[in-house]
Amino acid sequence: MTTHDITSIGLLHRQLFKAMQLEHATAPPYISALYSIHPGDNADAAQILRAVAVEEMLHLTIAANVMNAVGGTVDFTVAGFVPSYPTVLPDGEHDFEVGLGPFGKDALETYLKIERPAMAPRGQARHVQIKGGARHFISHPHDQTLRYYSIGEFYAAIRDGIVYLESEAKAKGKTIFTGDRAKQATAEYYYSGGGRLWPVFDVDSACRAIDLVIEQGEGELKQIFGAEGEIAHYYRFDQLQKGRYYQIGDQPGQPTGREIHVNWEAVWPIAVNLKLNKIPEKSELHAAVADFNKAYREFLAFLTRAFNGEPKLLLEAVPRMFEFRNRMQQLIRNPLPGGDCNAAPTYEI
Amino acid sequence: MSVSRRLETFVAFSAEVTAFTPTEVWGTGLTQRYLDTVDGVVGTAMTDALLNAFDRITTQSAGERTAKLRQTVFGCEQLGPVARAVVKLWYIGTWYALPAAWQERFGPAAQDGTFVPTPDAYVEGLLWSAIGAHPPGAKAQGFGSWQFPPGIPKF
Amino acid sequence: MSILDRRAIMVDPGVLKNSGHYDAIIVGSGVAGAIIANELAQAGKRVLIVEAATETDRSFKGYSSYLQHFYGQADKDNQSPFPVNRNADMPRSGQLRKLDPLEINSTSYIVQSGPYVTDTVYTRAFGGTTIHWEAKTPRMLPQDFQMQTLFGQGKDWPIRYHDLEVDYELAEREIGVSANVEDQQYLDITFRSSYVYPMHGLPLSYLDQRVAAQIDGSEVELYGERYPLRVRPFPQGRNAIPNQKYDGGKGYQPVGAVASHQIDVGGRCQGNTNCVPICPVQAKYHAGKTLAKAFDTGRVDLLSQAVASRVVIDSASGRVTGIETKLYHDPASPDHHTIMITGTLYVLAGNAIETPRLMLASGLRSSSGLMGCNLMDHAYLLNWALMPQICGTMRGTTCTGGIVELRGGAFRRHQATFSVDIHNDGWGWATGSPASDVVELVDAGNKFGADLRQAIIDRVSRQLLLAFMIEVLPSESNRVSVNPSYTDLLGNMRPVVSFTVPDYTLRGAAYARQFAKTVFARLGAEDHTKYDPSDYGFVTYEGEPFAIRGGNHLAGTHVMGTDKATSVVDTNQRCWDHDNLYLVGAGSMPTIGTANVTLTLAAMAFRSARNMIMQLGRLHAPVQT
Repeated sequence: MTTHDITSIGLLHRQLFKAMQLEHATAPPYISALYSIHPGDNADAAQILRAVAVEEMLHLTIAANVMNAVGGTVDFTVAGFVPSYPTVLPDGEHDFEVGLGPFGKDALETYLKIERPAMAPRGQARHVQIKGGARHFISHPHDQTLRYYSIGEFYAAIRDGIVYLESEAKAKGKTIFTGDRAKQATAEYYYSGGGRLWPVFDVDSACRAIDLVIEQGEGELKQIFGAEGEIAHYYRFDQLQKGRYYQIGDQPGQPTGREIHVNWEAVWPIAVNLKLNKIPEKSELHAAVADFNKAYREFLAFLTRAFNGEPKLLLEAVPRMFEFRNRMQQLIRNPLPGGDCNAAPTYEI
Repeated sequence: MSVSRRLETFVAFSAEVTAFTPTEVWGTGLTQRYLDTVDGVVGTAMTDALLNAFDRITTQSAGERTAKLRQTVFGCEQLGPVARAVVKLWYIGTWYALPAAWQERFGPAAQDGTFVPTPDAYVEGLLWSAIGAHPPGAKAQGFGSWQFPPGIPKF
Repeated sequence: MSILDRRAIMVDPGVLKNSGHYDAIIVGSGVAGAIIANELAQAGKRVLIVEAATETDRSFKGYSSYLQHFYGQADKDNQSPFPVNRNADMPRSGQLRKLDPLEINSTSYIVQSGPYVTDTVYTRAFGGTTIHWEAKTPRMLPQDFQMQTLFGQGKDWPIRYHDLEVDYELAEREIGVSANVEDQQYLDITFRSSYVYPMHGLPLSYLDQRVAAQIDGSEVELYGERYPLRVRPFPQGRNAIPNQKYDGGKGYQPVGAVASHQIDVGGRCQGNTNCVPICPVQAKYHAGKTLAKAFDTGRVDLLSQAVASRVVIDSASGRVTGIETKLYHDPASPDHHTIMITGTLYVLAGNAIETPRLMLASGLRSSSGLMGCNLMDHAYLLNWALMPQICGTMRGTTCTGGIVELRGGAFRRHQATFSVDIHNDGWGWATGSPASDVVELVDAGNKFGADLRQAIIDRVSRQLLLAFMIEVLPSESNRVSVNPSYTDLLGNMRPVVSFTVPDYTLRGAAYARQFAKTVFARLGAEDHTKYDPSDYGFVTYEGEPFAIRGGNHLAGTHVMGTDKATSVVDTNQRCWDHDNLYLVGAGSMPTIGTANVTLTLAAMAFRSARNMIMQLGRLHAPVQT
């Protein structure tokens, strides 16, 4: 094995695709949980989930920008881009899965695992041996027995790969940044999640973009607040578990800010990892869930167009996302026949 | 009527008089709250009378149902104002006080008055989806959405 | 990301005496007070802000509680998000009624002494009326500063447009204005070369576009001059797409919601169509955003639930020696205790009613005798109609576009100008739509089911409301006064307003009605306008009826001028009579033209803050912190 995990542009494209897949995969679980919360109740929990979800969308945009910059293809419509929930994501335990379900204590445990801070210093120590036969999103690019301990380490490897590949290319008088600048999505087009979106066209802009993802997500060096004072996802969720906000100067695990009261009961009991075939066929509800999935599929195609030279479409994507919010809320409040659970989008694309 | 049958009938009645689907009515998350609101104002016996009157005509054709609803519910001296209050409740999210004449004849409905049963009631008013808009201050449609023609849903 | 994880240093009144010396005491946390607090603090000065209201909305949770309160109110008037606080009461339109001749209505917070009853409001809350404002931010026209010289009407300002131009830019930065210079260059408005607004203009609504399709390029004639019509976007103090060319290419970072912990909303307007009374996501500017920066310096303290009740003067020097302040402990109880607050400079930043009210309650009428006089507010005349086609009304910001070509012109020798708003929220202001429509269709129309649903679409989605914002000139008899018979729960005298809509304005209103009819005819719109004689704002002019609404653009009551005999404050808004006292805000404005007053008063606050820093520099060296 070489020092670098990513030793070819092909591998870089593959890992960036996985990055987009990963960023997208966390959004439906967070958003399902967000809209399962009764409106007006649990404002703290809802705001935290919302903030994380919109940052995941920013991260998806950043991953797509990097992919476009290095001449790869952004396509959210390829088979398997949207996982079938529950699905496996990288973590210290090989049997940890992410699924669609209501907000609750168990769900929060899962979020903390997803956003778990990186542990490794650099290089090979990032890897963990895969036990059992589960397939992972974030497996090692060319050693199927290895995977990354956390999302932060996965991104760190991409960053290292970009630096390495570009220095190799430069030595030959070339560059890996062969993408079309017109495909870059910038802050005019996407503004939530910090609004810090810049065009990626060289090593510096690419590394800064990836560092932002790492910092907003997991807080690579066990830092609660990033360089610009923004709190990392892991610690955002940790606040809900601890029942208190972090403030600047706090130690991990010991928040000292305002108290948070979570009402674990004020949540719609949506069915966990619901599938369309569990809803009576020909029922109005079945049609509504199927419609949602269809609209979501069309939305991914629309986004794909946006990242292939029409970034202005991202402005129109926002109203569409707001419309999904309404449709999701509507489904989540509909009882499933005969059970104690409610419906939800199934994301069977 | 059983408790669950009662709620289902209320949802079916609400869908009928608002021209929204049962999925959309459930989708407000307010079905039980609104049934409780009606019960609270006019009492369960009168609510039952309303639901039973509707239940008797559910198997008829749409045109016949409308005619029957006019005759036996909206045109009923006792049930008419209650049915109209339910329609307004679904569309606007406000329970409008029953007319004074109704109060004199069929009251007292102690909890009557004009009120919003819960802040969500305003947010979930069907009026806004009917016109392809959103309640002011909630469910915004996103930056710039206002420059395009409204998406008024077919029904 | 707008990280505004700021800590306001809450002052314990018990230790106020020991908290060291303040360079400035600012009464009021609205936009003028906030800008001055921040400017002084950035210059190293120590500031205490005295706010009559609670600090509920300083936190996101508190702000959200306003929103829930709003949702839950059956009567959603423009103060409905803000719970009643009788210790720091505010005007509410629901309390008004028409007056008989010579009648006085003292049941509302503002004592209405007539003859005209104004439903103008302001919000006594942390952040002042910016929590409620619509955030339309046009500049005044250069000609507005010279009304007497150019048109023989009203007063001239002691300064000109050019003197305020740079401060307009500062105010546009602070508020975060979205607009395109090319849309705002009309009549005599100019911009410095290469200037761009912080953010690009918000797009016109579909309704605006439908109106524009029929009237753009048409003309009206007035006193022999022709005026071209065009639907133009308004500059707005809410977040849109940042302009990368701003600030010499540095761009602009929009400021979203203020919170005591990190959230991520308000970076861009979502189109909640609820600018007034409250933007749910804080994409609209409110003074809390400026205050967050001010608190972050560590040099600004906040004393809330503190009602300034008397400005105390040293009779020999005329200087202010302190502000007597009543501290209440609970909004539900009038229990309070009284303290004296002292500093070097004093700044009253209430509004054009509360500031003169406090001065007059302190016995300070100004040597000019003009304290409280010249009360101005825009007079609104509403005209409403149904468009021939579905326009998707009820979407957007409250207002995105309008007709502004008659904001200026030679006709000002004869009658008032106006600016026309196309309301995206339908007839609501005039009739209580759309709830009133549904009630009518259900109760009187006997509609339900599909008939009802279709009728609602036809009735609401075609609504067009043109709100004419008509100029009002200063008149000494239009005024705020106090009377010991009318006090609030804390024993402070309440404002008494006497107002007559001037004929100059009513001539403008009469033309506005004609203008509306012309526009409706060009649109093929069905005119539904009707003015009810029982309306509290009902007036007649030459036999024609109108219902005039207040504009919440209060001004003129501590007028700025060039000398002590004819004005209350100088061009830096410092009192001629009291050299350590500033009265800031729209009360200093000699005229208001057809510009919503906030942008101009914000610009003047920057001007005054500079002067305060100079004055403090002369008085003593800055306190080391």
